Amino acid sequence: MSAAKRPDAAVKLAGGAVYGTDLEAPGMLWGALVLAPVAHGRLRSVDLAGARALDGAVAVGPDDLASLLPGGGGDPERPIFPRAEISYRSQPVAAVAAPTLETARRAARAVRVDAEPLGVVADLEALFPEWPGSEAERSPDIAAHVHARHGGVEAAFRDAETVVRETYRTASIHQVALEPHACLAEVRDGVWRVWTTTQSPFGVREDTASLLGVPEASVVVEGTWVGGGFGGKGASLLEPYALVLARAAGRPVRLALGYREEFLLGRTTLPAVVRMETGVTAGRIVARRVRLLLDVGTSLPGRDFATGYSIGFLLGPYRTPAFEVEGYAVRTNKPPFGPHRAPFAPQCVFVVESHLAHVALELGLDPEEFRAAHLWKEGDPTPLGQPVGPCGLAAAFEAARALARRWRAEAAPGQGVGIGAGFWSTGTGAGGEALARLDGRGLTILQGEREIGSGSVLVGLRAVAAHASGLSPARIQIEYADSSRAPFDSGVFGSRTTAALGRAVEEAVRGLLTRLAERMGTVGPVTLEEAGDGLVAVHRSERRSVEELLTPEERAAGGLEASGRHYGRAGSIDERRVVAGTFYPYTDFTGSVHVALVSVDRETGSVRVDRYAAFQDVGRLVDEGSARAQVEGAVAMGLGTALTEEAIWSEDGRLENPGLLDYRIPTLGEIPPLEITFLEGFRGAGPDGAKGLGEPPIIPVPAAVAAAVRAASGAHLTELPLSAERVARALKLL
Amino acid sequence: MTERRLVLTVNGLAASLADVPAGERLLDTLRWRLGLKGTKEGCRTGGCGACTVLVDGESSLSCLTLTHEVDGCAVTTIEAIASDPVGRSVRDAFEREGALQCGYCTPGFVVALTGLLKERGRSAPLEELLDGLQGNLCRCTGYVAIARAVRAAREATA
Repeated sequence: MSAAKRPDAAVKLAGGAVYGTDLEAPGMLWGALVLAPVAHGRLRSVDLAGARALDGAVAVGPDDLASLLPGGGGDPERPIFPRAEISYRSQPVAAVAAPTLETARRAARAVRVDAEPLGVVADLEALFPEWPGSEAERSPDIAAHVHARHGGVEAAFRDAETVVRETYRTASIHQVALEPHACLAEVRDGVWRVWTTTQSPFGVREDTASLLGVPEASVVVEGTWVGGGFGGKGASLLEPYALVLARAAGRPVRLALGYREEFLLGRTTLPAVVRMETGVTAGRIVARRVRLLLDVGTSLPGRDFATGYSIGFLLGPYRTPAFEVEGYAVRTNKPPFGPHRAPFAPQCVFVVESHLAHVALELGLDPEEFRAAHLWKEGDPTPLGQPVGPCGLAAAFEAARALARRWRAEAAPGQGVGIGAGFWSTGTGAGGEALARLDGRGLTILQGEREIGSGSVLVGLRAVAAHASGLSPARIQIEYADSSRAPFDSGVFGSRTTAALGRAVEEAVRGLLTRLAERMGTVGPVTLEEAGDGLVAVHRSERRSVEELLTPEERAAGGLEASGRHYGRAGSIDERRVVAGTFYPYTDFTGSVHVALVSVDRETGSVRVDRYAAFQDVGRLVDEGSARAQVEGAVAMGLGTALTEEAIWSEDGRLENPGLLDYRIPTLGEIPPLEITFLEGFRGAGPDGAKGLGEPPIIPVPAAVAAAVRAASGAHLTELPLSAERVARALKLL
Repeated sequence: MTERRLVLTVNGLAASLADVPAGERLLDTLRWRLGLKGTKEGCRTGGCGACTVLVDGESSLSCLTLTHEVDGCAVTTIEAIASDPVGRSVRDAFEREGALQCGYCTPGFVVALTGLLKERGRSAPLEELLDGLQGNLCRCTGYVAIARAVRAAREATA
């Protein structure tokens, strides 16, 4: 297969792409953050005098916000510097800026932070040894509680022939986008302007305005090239600090994290504990109970999304007549929980798949047959009562089983084959808008997102516009503008860009075609075709030059314009099944099933993945090269989650391995040969039935690898990652 | 204080630098003194390879190289890699094979592979080239397209 050339390849290969870390302005100062020295403490004072004594240095702390911010200090619920209480180690308590980075760092070290240490809550299980009970809703340690039930679960468990109970634990993992967070800020004439590396310019605008207590219209966010996001650059992080420094200094300020800080204060996935309980009668699941404790760090009450969303994945895509799920978002002295490519879903799927396989093996059943027998079919209700839409999951599962049988037949002693199955739903976000502009030579799409690397903007949106218009992608330009000029879009996350913003692009292009049809005196379908350098509009046998169909005013203004908007809505759930909290319905159902062939070293416990296959439901394949690239990248990232990645938090809330030498992500030599199969025809929520693809292919990876490890060695692991040490312990080698 | 002028040949041009502190890293000299920001700053601890440049033809991590160490040396960065025929083949292979996504690790990979191909010559086994890139991290591509580009670049220079 020959991959299509990416439109951004040339500038990136020439070293000419300007990322957040490359930002610079004449006369700018270099910023640095002062980080809290304890994970929990009463803040007595922040003394900035030592910093301010340095040549050209500016320092801002909690007491300066009232005078610097027009609203008197920003959001009282979320002050950018803590006033009384430090709630995680490395929480920014002050910020400094100076003419050189060296001086800025010296200034940061010169700030005296006096804090009285308080007791630290870092370990979920130490906090709730007996698990939270009815008191949970009132506990300050619980940020959110979700609870749903259906089908008389107590009676179903009482009547079950067999009940299997297990506890699983999953690790904290980091996105590890290679580009750290970085931005440049300037405050002038009442405009708070920030250039930043972000997955969501509008999200940063909204969040920054709210944090600083300034009107949204006075904040302008301009995205740069983004050196990887994976969820870590979806919300504001440095922008408010850089803006406050720029306001205090009266000059532009650049603020960037070093990679150590990236680990220390980036928002990421934190540890979790899951209890699974399954009742089976005559080989059929009759009852399930799932309880989740999810560490959400210092997330604010009511702002936790992960618990309510992930809890649906903990039941898996399996029919269950009676169930109860309960999830607790637990506050600890760690940074707030942040999304990481399909937030927490790979971990959930590892738990469900490993547990149900274990149930089957306990009962002497084939684990794949057992899961296949319960797999959702279209029209089945989800646990929350939403009918399952078109989904390639069952077809993918069958194909994966056939491949697994072949691989098993070929496997050497010591090798094992496993299958992992998961699903996802194309995100909507708040919605998105786009503007299409047609002139005599080509089509331009104006929109508000920057390309973060996946190709979802520059390749995906172009492919959507090409599909809708009839033109080749080469005739389509994707244009970007800052948040004051671009149409709104909620962000490049949730696998939504090509799929959901793409719907707005599709609508805008169709709007243009409708206008052309009117001018051609028809209501029938019009498409565009290339004719030499120009374009023609085609309706049946009628062909008209686009140039001639435009009015002189439109020609002078740059072309004919039409806008499109897409504010997608998910389906609905059966609220009668909800006891407490918020559960989320799905927009569509995207199946991903993976097969792994692994070898387990019987002396060290280390796992090598020898072969790998992914069966990916895509709805409609928008661009094959980008789709393959998403699967390739997601599988590698998932192998890190499965095997090596673990941010280790000590009992006193300290991150023990904040760096790429101690937090190991996969390298080039660790990637197995990978076979990818796309399943089309199960329509999704995106343009012409496409489904979002950024996240789904990471979801089944840890589950598939764990199943293969068990098949290869007999080791049944209930903790992620499946490190050599854990495997060795499970095999009683340690 | 013994400040002396340093003279580096950067991308074929002489760069005469005054007042370079003893502890300044080549990465910062390139990016902030010379404005050559194609060389990327990643981890600054030698763990990611994003900052790879050629020093006298050999691939080096500019985050762990002191500028004073390379006084008198020839430094090649991504901005000039295509002026070398091997570098151009590598760049073209990355473009043709779609071996990049966000692009942040890309300069490091392109420079490192160029260095390897120039050093080991046309007979370098593929495995050796792939092994030589183990210190370059990529989070987007899963390395599949990069491995393809390595193969294509090797064939193009053979």
